Formats: sequence, C-alpha cells, structure tokens
Amino acid sequence: MRTVWIAGAGMTRIGRRPEPLQALMAEAAHAALAMAGHPEPDAIVVAAMNPEEFVGDGNFASNVASYMGFAEVPAVRIETATSSGAAAFYAGFAQVAAGLARTVLVVGGEKMTHLPTPRVSELIGRSIDPYERSYGATMPALAGLVTRALMARHGVTERELAQVSVKNHAHGARNPFAHFQHPVTLEEVLESRVVADPLRLLHCCPISDGAAAVVLTAERGPVRVAGVGQGTDTLALRHRRRLTSFRATQAAARAAFAMAGFGPERVDFAEVHDAFAPFELIALEDLGLVPPGKAGRATLDGETALDGRLPVNPSGGLKARGHPLAATGIAQIVECVWQLTGRAQGRQLQGRVALAHSIGGLATNNWVTLLEAA
Amino acid sequence: MIETIPASRCPQCELTVAPPAPYCPYHPVAMVPTTVAGVGEVVTFTTLYAPPEGFRSPLHIALVELEGGARFVCHGAEVRGLKVGARVAVEAIDNIYYFSSLSALDRARLFWRRAGRAGDRLHAMTRSLAKRLWKGGGGATA
Repeated sequence: MRTVWIAGAGMTRIGRRPEPLQALMAEAAHAALAMAGHPEPDAIVVAAMNPEEFVGDGNFASNVASYMGFAEVPAVRIETATSSGAAAFYAGFAQVAAGLARTVLVVGGEKMTHLPTPRVSELIGRSIDPYERSYGATMPALAGLVTRALMARHGVTERELAQVSVKNHAHGARNPFAHFQHPVTLEEVLESRVVADPLRLLHCCPISDGAAAVVLTAERGPVRVAGVGQGTDTLALRHRRRLTSFRATQAAARAAFAMAGFGPERVDFAEVHDAFAPFELIALEDLGLVPPGKAGRATLDGETALDGRLPVNPSGGLKARGHPLAATGIAQIVECVWQLTGRAQGRQLQGRVALAHSIGGLATNNWVTLLEAA
Repeated sequence: MIETIPASRCPQCELTVAPPAPYCPYHPVAMVPTTVAGVGEVVTFTTLYAPPEGFRSPLHIALVELEGGARFVCHGAEVRGLKVGARVAVEAIDNIYYFSSLSALDRARLFWRRAGRAGDRLHAMTRSLAKRLWKGGGGATA
C-alpha cells in the first residue's frame, strides 16, 4: 500500500448560503486545489447525501465535475448518510493507496437551509429504519432515546451534556468559517426548549449549507494519512444490545489505529461527530481518548477545551461550525489539516496527530481518520 | 389481557426481533418465526414536542425490552413518573403498539403463565407479593 498525503484542504464558510450546491462545492474544491498548488486531479470523489431531494439534482458526480471545469476527469459519488464525506475521503484514499490514481480530489457538500425545517428533518430521517420511522422516530428522537439511557445507566448529568455545547460554541466563536460564531452559556443550554426529552435545542447541531474538499496525493505532502477505519451497526436501534456506546465507532477506531500502528494515546486533538451533545461524550469513550465513564467529567474539567489536555472540536464541531451533511466528514479533516499546518487562525493548536470521527445515520456507518503532520 | 407479538429468532445467535424480519441483522441466515409476550422493561423513552407530520404533540416513544429478549418500539399515552427499568405492558390499538403500566391483574396473569405447575404459580405469586410489600417498606425508610 502506498503512503497517501494530503496536499490541500479547503472549505466554504458554513451557514445559510444563497449559492447553488455546485457553486459551494466548486468554491471548496478550488480552495483545496490552490493550497495544493493547482494539480490536475486523476479522479474526483463527490459526497452528497441527498441532492436529489434537497436541491432536485441527480447524477451529481458528473454535475459537480462539469460545473467546476473537470468534465473530463473521472468522477464517482459516495454515500453513507451523514458520514458520506468521510466515506468519500476513504474512497479517494483507497485509489491513491492502491496506485490507481496519483492525485484525487475529494469534495463534499449539502444545501438544506432553503427548505422548511420539518421537510429537512423528514429527509434526514429517511436514513432511519422504516419501522422505527413509522412510529414517528426522527434523528433527534433516536438521539433522545440514547441520551435518556446515557443519563439513567451511566449517570451523565445535564451540566455535562450542556458543557459540550458551551465548549463547542466557544470554539466556533474563534472560527471564521463556523455557522455559529457566538458563545452560549450553560444556563442558555439548560433553558433552551426541549426537542426530544431530555435533549434540548442547544444540544443539537443546526441545519447548514456548505462544502469542503481535500486533495489526496502519492507525492509527499504536509500531512500524512496514517489510518482510516470504517465501522458499522444495525440500521434499527431496537436490534442493538447497547445504546450508550456505538459499535460502529469502536470498530472504526480499532481499524484506523491498527492501520496507523499506534493507539489513542498518540492523538493530540480530535474533531468528533457532535450532531447531538451526548454523542461527543460517547465518542470520546468509544475512541479510547477518555476512560469509560469519564467523558462528562473531563468535559466539565476543561480537558477537551482549546487549552485543555485533549482539545476536541477546535472548529466548533457540528454544533457550532455547522453540519452540512456530506460536507461534514471532509470539513473535520480540513480543520485537522489546517491545525497541523499552522493555518487555524485564532484557534491554532500545537499537535502532530489528529483524529476525525464521523457518524453516518444513527451510528450505522461510522468512520475514523488519523492524520499526522509530516 | 397480555398481547402476543409476532417476532423472529436467529437460529445462530438467538437474537429475537419484533416485528419479525426475514434475515438476522447480524447473520445472513433466515430467521425462525416466533412470538413474544407484550410485557417487558422500559430500556429508554423520549417525548417529541415537534413530531413529524401525521403525529400529535407531545409524542411519547419508548424502547421496551420484551420478555423473550426482543426490543420493541412503541408509543405511550403518558410518561409522567415513568422510569428506565419500569415494567410495562405493550398492546396494539388499531395496529399501533402502546405501552402502559401493568395492572395487578396483568401481573397475576403473567405469573400464572410463566410458572409451570399450580404449586409453582402459587409460590411465585406469594413471593412476588412478599417482595413488593418488603420493597414498599424499604422504600419508606430509605
């Protein structure tokens, strides 16, 4: 297997964007290519979770490639629900690692804010098991079920949950690309309206537009891809034995660390999938970054803040940077690359090894990516 | 009346799922049809205040672990005072399953059905009654 490097990383500002999805993806792709020195990619991997429904366009690999001036570059589209970006990164990585391509452009994006919220929820909810959906289960509903179990079985407190949002908003306030660039207080989180009891509005990520891209190459670059792992689990939540940890994250982490040849102790900072605040706590333990049962305490103690032992979600995470579905897995990697190459203005960390963790669906198809500064 | 709920069991790992599925989610083998009793323990629950179209707010959704092992998604009319671990009955009304607190009669029927011989049944019921009385006393002083 060849060593794979990241030569460039770019993204759009996340938030409410008036441009069409193709334009957002072109903006991110050209930013990544500019950082890489404008190489001509051999192949393009496109991530978009559901452009057919969100923006009404299909055949999206060709659509995006043609739009941005790469009509003659072979392009495919990859989809694993909300982790599509991370999955596309893997597909690009595999092509370079196998020697099938020297330079691959990976670009993901989603555009949702032009639709009413109930419609967006319904479209995202289609990634849920149909029977559970027939009982009114939405993503927040399933996350609410997980949260209740986490609180009842593991004693996670409301303050611990709320602190995840407070921390990630504080990080987002220092990221000019973030959807939310304002801080929130513990009280604001604890008093925000209940969405899916015990989950509150300020525990949940927003609906966002945006795109992100990276350039992968076989030539030595500033960041090395040390490991990539995928983990999966049942589509239906009721078919699982455990609700308070995600098998898909644990399996993805095992595979990524095995490929990298090192363990979680080498990780200096992480971008994790905090679509709902409790998911960050679960991820920290599933990834082996924090001992079992300690994620809430570690968060309250500031261990995962920008100036803590293990900064988590320096970008602001899904909560504050935003969650344009298929862009997210790549946006996490962009943040890691920017941090590892001294480009994270206003929130720059010192560190050599970064971890990105992306959840697809209700943790049915998760990814862990390990990056190391050259 | 305790409801009988259609389910299926994996011949390889014994996982029981309800409603029945053609294949085990963990093994590529055909599941064997079976049934489970509409009674079990609340694993977790939530209330939606902005439910999807076609559902009325507030919408109570629970995950109940039925006797026989299947975990089951159902609705409920009320969650006030409900706790994770509570024993509930699950029954279908117009083909939609709802959970509710078990009545004393339901509990008695359960013991009747679970225990094999008449003597065992009586024994189980007495034990359960003693346990509940003892628990009630313990709760007051705890």
